[in-house]
Amino acid sequence: MPRWPASLLTPLLSVLLPALTLGLTITSKADDVDTWWSLKPLANPAPPRQPSESGNAIDAFLVDRLSRQGQTLSRRATRRVLARRLSFDLLGIPASPEAVSAFVNDPHPDAWSRLVDRTLANPHFGERWARHWLDIVRYGESQGFERDKLRPHAWRYRDWVVSAFNADMPYNRFAAWQIAGDVLEDSNPDAVVAAGFLVAGPWDEVGNSQQSDAMKRVVRQDELEDLVSVVGQGFLALTVHCARCHDHKFDPIPQAEYYRMASALDGVRHGLRDLPGQGVPERTSARSATMLTRRRFLEERLAQLESAARHEVLKARKTSSTTDAQPPAPFARWDFNSSDIKEAGRDSFGRLHGVLHGDGKLDKGHLVLGIRTHIVTPPIPMDVSAKTLEAWVQLADTRQTGGGLVAVEAINGSSHDAIAFGDLVPGHWNVSSEQRRRTVDFRGPRETDGERHLVHIAYVFDETGRVTAYRNGQQYGQTIRTRGPIRYRAGEARVLIGLRHSPSDRARHIRGRIDRVQLHLRALSPEEIIRSSGSFAQHVSDRELLEHLTEKQRETRDHLLFEIKQLSELAARWNAWKAYTVVPRPPGVTRRLVRGNPADPAEIVTPGGVSAVPGPPPGFGLAENATDTDRRRALASWITSKANPLFARVIVNRVWMHHFGRGLVETPSDFGINGGLPSHPRLLDWLASQLISHQFQLKPIHRIILNSRAYQQASRYRPEAAATDADNRLIWRMTPRRLEAEALRDAMLSASGSLDHQIGGPGFYDFSTHVNNSQFYAMKDPIGATFDRRSLYRTVVRSGRSPFLDAFDCPDPSTKSPRRAITTTPLQALSLLNSNFAIRMSHRLARLTVSHAGPAPQAQVQTAYRLCFSRPPTTDELKLAVAFVSEHGMPAFARVLFNSNEFLYVD
Amino acid sequence: MSTDSLNRRHFLDFATAGIGGTALASLLRDESGTDAAGRLPGLTPTARRVIHVVATGGFSQVDSFDHKPQLAKLHGTPLVSEERPDVFFGKVGLLRQSDWAFRRRGDSGLWVSDLFPHLASVADELTVIKSMVAETSNHTPATFQENSGFRLNGFPVLGAWLSYGLGSASRNLPTHVVIPDPRGLPAGGSINWTNGFLPSEHQGVPLRARGSALDNLFPRTPLGAATERDSRRLLDELNRRHLEQRGGDDALLGRIRSYQLAARMQLAVPEVTSLDSETRDTQALYGLDTDPTADFGRACLLARRLLEQGVRFVQLFSGGAFGRPRHNWDGHEDMVKNHGREAARVDQPLAALLTDLRRTGLLDDTLVLFTSEFGRTPFTQSNAGVLGTGRDHNQYGFSVWMAGGGLRGGTSYGATDIYGWKAEKNITTWHDFHATVLHLLGIDHENLTYYHNGIERRLTNVHGEVITDILN
Repeated sequence: MPRWPASLLTPLLSVLLPALTLGLTITSKADDVDTWWSLKPLANPAPPRQPSESGNAIDAFLVDRLSRQGQTLSRRATRRVLARRLSFDLLGIPASPEAVSAFVNDPHPDAWSRLVDRTLANPHFGERWARHWLDIVRYGESQGFERDKLRPHAWRYRDWVVSAFNADMPYNRFAAWQIAGDVLEDSNPDAVVAAGFLVAGPWDEVGNSQQSDAMKRVVRQDELEDLVSVVGQGFLALTVHCARCHDHKFDPIPQAEYYRMASALDGVRHGLRDLPGQGVPERTSARSATMLTRRRFLEERLAQLESAARHEVLKARKTSSTTDAQPPAPFARWDFNSSDIKEAGRDSFGRLHGVLHGDGKLDKGHLVLGIRTHIVTPPIPMDVSAKTLEAWVQLADTRQTGGGLVAVEAINGSSHDAIAFGDLVPGHWNVSSEQRRRTVDFRGPRETDGERHLVHIAYVFDETGRVTAYRNGQQYGQTIRTRGPIRYRAGEARVLIGLRHSPSDRARHIRGRIDRVQLHLRALSPEEIIRSSGSFAQHVSDRELLEHLTEKQRETRDHLLFEIKQLSELAARWNAWKAYTVVPRPPGVTRRLVRGNPADPAEIVTPGGVSAVPGPPPGFGLAENATDTDRRRALASWITSKANPLFARVIVNRVWMHHFGRGLVETPSDFGINGGLPSHPRLLDWLASQLISHQFQLKPIHRIILNSRAYQQASRYRPEAAATDADNRLIWRMTPRRLEAEALRDAMLSASGSLDHQIGGPGFYDFSTHVNNSQFYAMKDPIGATFDRRSLYRTVVRSGRSPFLDAFDCPDPSTKSPRRAITTTPLQALSLLNSNFAIRMSHRLARLTVSHAGPAPQAQVQTAYRLCFSRPPTTDELKLAVAFVSEHGMPAFARVLFNSNEFLYVD
Repeated sequence: MSTDSLNRRHFLDFATAGIGGTALASLLRDESGTDAAGRLPGLTPTARRVIHVVATGGFSQVDSFDHKPQLAKLHGTPLVSEERPDVFFGKVGLLRQSDWAFRRRGDSGLWVSDLFPHLASVADELTVIKSMVAETSNHTPATFQENSGFRLNGFPVLGAWLSYGLGSASRNLPTHVVIPDPRGLPAGGSINWTNGFLPSEHQGVPLRARGSALDNLFPRTPLGAATERDSRRLLDELNRRHLEQRGGDDALLGRIRSYQLAARMQLAVPEVTSLDSETRDTQALYGLDTDPTADFGRACLLARRLLEQGVRFVQLFSGGAFGRPRHNWDGHEDMVKNHGREAARVDQPLAALLTDLRRTGLLDDTLVLFTSEFGRTPFTQSNAGVLGTGRDHNQYGFSVWMAGGGLRGGTSYGATDIYGWKAEKNITTWHDFHATVLHLLGIDHENLTYYHNGIERRLTNVHGEVITDILN
């Protein structure tokens, strides 16, 4: 049992006493360390013999113990209850009404075991059980500490866990890969990703970069403690890390053995790395296509939303009739309307046909610039002094710097004039010139729309030396005065498109897509520029637009923009074949540190395990300077050895805990003397032996547990059983459980028909973020299908926690949380009643029931009950509900259902 | 059988399963209306509630409370030391005297510099510890340690421990409240008020001193009074039927009660956060009417109002994160500008808070803490031989102050060396500080424990000595 401080026990003592006098083995008293239960080799006990109706081997163990207490298992729960229980337990989402009816009406005698098999094979199984594992391994997608930078590629580890559970990867390999996958199979991307386990925790960037070496050594020792702790607790439920400063206070772990394990892990460092191989193109591209479709849909909605306002802005802007007139004819025009890439440089107006260099492509009349794409024309056959350069462009991003859009340059390289982006001030358009002689900032506004729309940019160089820039037909910033235009003789100048000046250099290329480029050999007037910019002058700035939108429209627009941006980020993360995982460094020689102080090193220790663990030899037979590969391989094989009794016991106990709400050992990450004793030690060992005999596959263990009568018991409270075992340690009923935070959110999404069932991929952000030295996260309630994914796919940022999930006991991702607390607080009630998310889900559930059931409140209520509770309402409930719906509407009723105990609790 | 007796009889089922035992415990306490602090064995509390002001970034001891006449004499000379100072940015410039004049204040003659003129006027309330040391000079781990005793992520903070150990004295408000600086969250964001491995109900609840105080108190678009009323009734009806069918279960009953508490909170929060109900004089005292003091003044006044309503622990942040512009006490570049600006925001409100708590009698059993994750170096952060204007982080010696119930006011404890660099006398760690705070609240720091992954965890790890010299 958890230990309560004496101060808290005092007021509760009277109610606690019966449990303490029950005589159950729940207190930890170890007189003799050598015989501590968890350090004994596995026994492989035969199940006790039981009367024939008692179910499987598990029931034999349980009934044997219960009967000594004069107790029995409870009756079997109804099929409806079982269907709902199983679905939440294995999948973490509610069973669909259809699945429930199918099971309820299944005449087959093996209906239950068939349902179990089907559900275990459902790919949402991996998602549900991955979440349990991620709790244990302090999985987060940001650094923590001061900087807390995002780890955009950490999600691959999460996905690997999901697929490992789904594929029923043998648990010994599952463990070995997480400890050493990157060195055991360095060309296998899955194995490399699996090692992300080691680096899933916080990392102190500032601590690692500070000036003080002494402090840096402390930071490194903290990192090693984190590693020893997650490996020791995660796989062996041994708190080896408690021996960092001194011999373990409770368990037989000398301080030197902490350092042996630290030595085995000393090569582990955090980092981002490219993965071996080519990724999974078909899956990635399918997802990218879906995201693109969604993105187009959103952009259309955005355009619709903006169109009325846009129209008004333009109407107000049309003070003159100049826009109706013909645009001025250029000297040359490149419009990229050919579909033949060889024709990319064709002048469609004059005869200045250029040649394409680099790897650009043509797409819908645009030149899409790739790596070092540019067009070079032949010499301009006329003298050039005053001139106008124009282009319509959509930038790949507005963070790029220094690229040239279009230029006129002297062929001998002595001078040039170019439209450049971010060459002088990031995010701003400016003139580029040789040795920056005329390179002056127009002091125009920062380009913010340039990656969303085509913008028309024109620079007018007049005979007096003035240079004026226009953006979408309107002057951009201030006119610049120069000494006079550069005068190029006929045949001495040429045009460059996509390059600031020759020669080609990465920093001089602009990135994006160009719709059209025009050259005029004279200075156009402002009116001519407006005419020339033509339909593209229809573009309206964000500022103008916002002035014409209602508050509600602005909000919708914000959500659309947020989701559009999110989709491009998600696509980029999908396509990056990278993972946040171990980037090993050659390990050093490890010394024991007196009192854990890096300034006080003692004797050298070699890599090894804990000698108190029976079975595999704790010495790895490695030298003090052994390689990282040798060290971690040895550690993995020591941990996963069949002879190591802790390895199997710990995982079957975890599995048991998630099925029954409590482990056979109540401290799942501590099997030491400070931890709990098993309530059914023989059953625990029997399950562990079963795991080994099933080649460490976990699904057979799940199956045995789920097919037991114990699992299928009703959850109803039985006073006579509670009188002797109020705690239900002997499992005389199924303990009712509240949904965890993620399961609650997922259930709301699912019941309201909103849940996106796609599995895997980079997680969504429910925050906007910016970096100002540290990375900051402003929590949002994002709206859009992209965010209606399971909570597993919420990007887990250490300093950006979700208020909704936190309220329902979602643990701090920096702690290793083998078992979640479940609390009941008024803040939970407020979140479920009033949060935007809860209200939104209520409306969606209402809409769904109306669309399923039609306008009759009776049918709507029945549908809603099935969706939320997996059962129809009773006559009485129906009457109550219909009266309520008639008066207050379906959304208000849906809100009540989401707040009800029946929705939150699983029997 | 009434549901109440059912509740008590079956409480064991709930508590021993570890399912919300403390939550229900606090609900039960609410029912009986008693205060857990009075029942703690052994110690008599001299304080029952806490306001903790966190000056993020590291405020300078040698410019505020740690008067070093020698430093003025050595101004512009190099530090003479056997060891090269191991500082965060690695630059050790010349020694720099305080940019603010020191004076003896009040009846006690406590040294306070002109950086805090208002606070100086209530110097007799202050207990200054001048010999603090931290384990790191890296902001965020140091801040974590200041709050949780550990340099790492994931450990419960002081407020969470108090919420866990003392429970709530309010029926209607959260126990552990945080009021961040409106200019931004500290680095690490909500990690700074985490429950760590304690149940999440002990996490700090962030309140805003302006605008809507608490998220989700009401739906964004009101549903109408009749709909709200009937929804609650229907919910209650459904939940009671559900409970009956299941033979009674405390977890279920606890949830039914939590909706009653939520309803009370909906009334209490707007009331407590309505600062307009304070008199004009009080508002002026806290500086609500002028610019640099209004933000922190509102936070201080709100904190006092929360305490009056039974909130156990209110944490105020003076300063946000470490980017640019720097909105905190991290005076690397220019101390006069940086500390001048930050002190001007908090000085008057802090003095007002102490004055106000004293005049209402609340200071008799309230603790006010003013701390910083570390201090600053007596030499400037500049190249050797150069007298700069900024100071680097200093973990080896710095000052914090406390005030209120059970403390000796107008005193200082411990001392640094002649420069104000390293603590020399009565060296005080965060564990000692935390042990002392718990002691004042009637808790033996060795008894406030929570089992987590193999260890009975404590706020004070395995360390900590109560500083008896500063106790009354």
